[in-house]
Amino acid sequence: MGNTLCAIEAWDSRNRRQVDELMQAEGIRRDRNLSYTCGIFDENMRIIATGSSFGNTLRCLAVASDHRGEGLMNEIVSHLMERQMAQGNSRVFLYTKPQSARLLGDLGFYEVARLEDAVFMENRFGGFTGYLRQLVKTRQPGRSAAIVMNANPFTRGHRYLVERAAGENDWLHLFLLSEEAGPIPYVVRKRLVREGVADLSNVILHDSDAYIISSATFPSYFLRDEDTAILAHAKLDLAVFGKIAEVLGVTARYAGEEKSSHVTRLYNETMAAELPKRGVAFRIIPRLELCGEIVSASSVRQAIHDGQLEKAAFMLPESSLRYFESDEAEPVIKAIRAMDEARHY
Amino acid sequence: MEIVKPAMAGTLESSDAQIMVEPGENGIELFLKSSVMNQYGRQIKATVLETLERLGVKNARVTVVDKGALDCTLKARVECAVFRSADASEKDIPWGGAVR
Repeated sequence: MGNTLCAIEAWDSRNRRQVDELMQAEGIRRDRNLSYTCGIFDENMRIIATGSSFGNTLRCLAVASDHRGEGLMNEIVSHLMERQMAQGNSRVFLYTKPQSARLLGDLGFYEVARLEDAVFMENRFGGFTGYLRQLVKTRQPGRSAAIVMNANPFTRGHRYLVERAAGENDWLHLFLLSEEAGPIPYVVRKRLVREGVADLSNVILHDSDAYIISSATFPSYFLRDEDTAILAHAKLDLAVFGKIAEVLGVTARYAGEEKSSHVTRLYNETMAAELPKRGVAFRIIPRLELCGEIVSASSVRQAIHDGQLEKAAFMLPESSLRYFESDEAEPVIKAIRAMDEARHY
Repeated sequence: MEIVKPAMAGTLESSDAQIMVEPGENGIELFLKSSVMNQYGRQIKATVLETLERLGVKNARVTVVDKGALDCTLKARVECAVFRSADASEKDIPWGGAVR
C-alpha cells in the first residue's frame, strides 16, 4: 500500500501535469472549470488516481489502468463526497464515461441520462424519476409544446414567444431555470413569469430543478468554456430533456432566435440537430423587435446596468415593469449596475 | 433525535459503509445499496433501522452505500451521521445510554 490521498493545488504545476497526463491516458478531457482537485500518490509520488469537483458536481475522475481493482475510485469518491457535504451539498451529480458508470453505480450514484460517450448520474435514489413522476401528473391530452427559459427578467420578448407557442399548441409546458445565477432571485423571476402569463390558461409552469440547464447538466452555460465542452454539455442536457418531453407528451420545443449570446446560439444549434432524433420538433422564433430594437433579457439588464431605465421599460410587460419600479427591486437594480458584464456570454 | 440538516459518515472503502441522513417527513425512508445485497441486505437494513430507532430518529431520509461493513461498523456510522446532522458535540452524545 503506502498510497496517500492529497489535495492538488492550482499552483502545483508538477502534479497538475501528472493529473493531466493521467486523464489524457484514460481518455478524459480536463474541465476548464474546477474548484478542487485531489490525487492518490503511490510510494514513488506518482499519481495513480484523481478526481475533482466543481459546485455540486464531481469531475475528471480517473484511475490509472494498471491500478484498477484496488478500490482507488472508492477512496476518491469518498473524499470528494465528504467535501461536498462539508459545503452543504447533499445532492451531487457527475458525468462519466459509459465504461465507468457501473463502478460509480456501486458507489451510490444513479443514472439520469446516457449518451454514446457519456453518462450523467446523481447520488439521489429516485431523484430524477421522482421529478418525472411529479411532471407526469400535469400531462395533458392534445398537442403539447415546451419552452425553457431563464426569464432574467421576463420581457415582452418572452411573452411574445410564450403567446406564439401557446397559440400553436393545445398546451404549453413552461420550464423556468431554477438555478440562482444572477442578481434577480429565482422567486422573483418565477413571480414575474407567473404574472406575465396569468391570462393564458393553457400554460403550465414548472421548475427545471437540477435537470434542465443547471450547473449540473450544463455547467458551461454559466461559466465560460470551450465550444467542445459546451456542445458535450448541451447534448447531455438534451438527453435529459428528451425523457422529460416523453413523459409530458411534448412534441415541440420553442426557442427565441439567438444572435448575441454565443452559448445560447450553440445550444440552439444542438437542439436543432438533436431534438428531432428524440421525436421533438424544434421551432425557432425570430425575436420580437420594438422600435427597431431586439427585445431580450440581456438588453434589459444592459439598459439597467447603464442606468437607462426608460430603455428597459419599453421591453418589459406591465408586471415586470411594476416590479422594477418598486422598492423591492432596489437592491437588485443596484446589483445589476455593479456587474462587470450584464449580458450572457 | 431530530435530523436537522444533511450529514454523512463513513467511506466507500471496502468493509465500510457511507451513510447519509437527510431531513424527512414520512417516517424513515431507507435507500440501500450494498456489494453484498443478496447475502446480507436484510440484515443491513435491520441494523440500520434498529440503530435509528434506538437514537429516537422518527423521520429521515437515509441513504446507505454499503461495502461489506460489519454490523458494529454500520451501527457506528449511522450513529455518527445522526449526531453530525443534529450538530451534537461530544458532551451531547448519550454514551452509555442510547450509544453503547
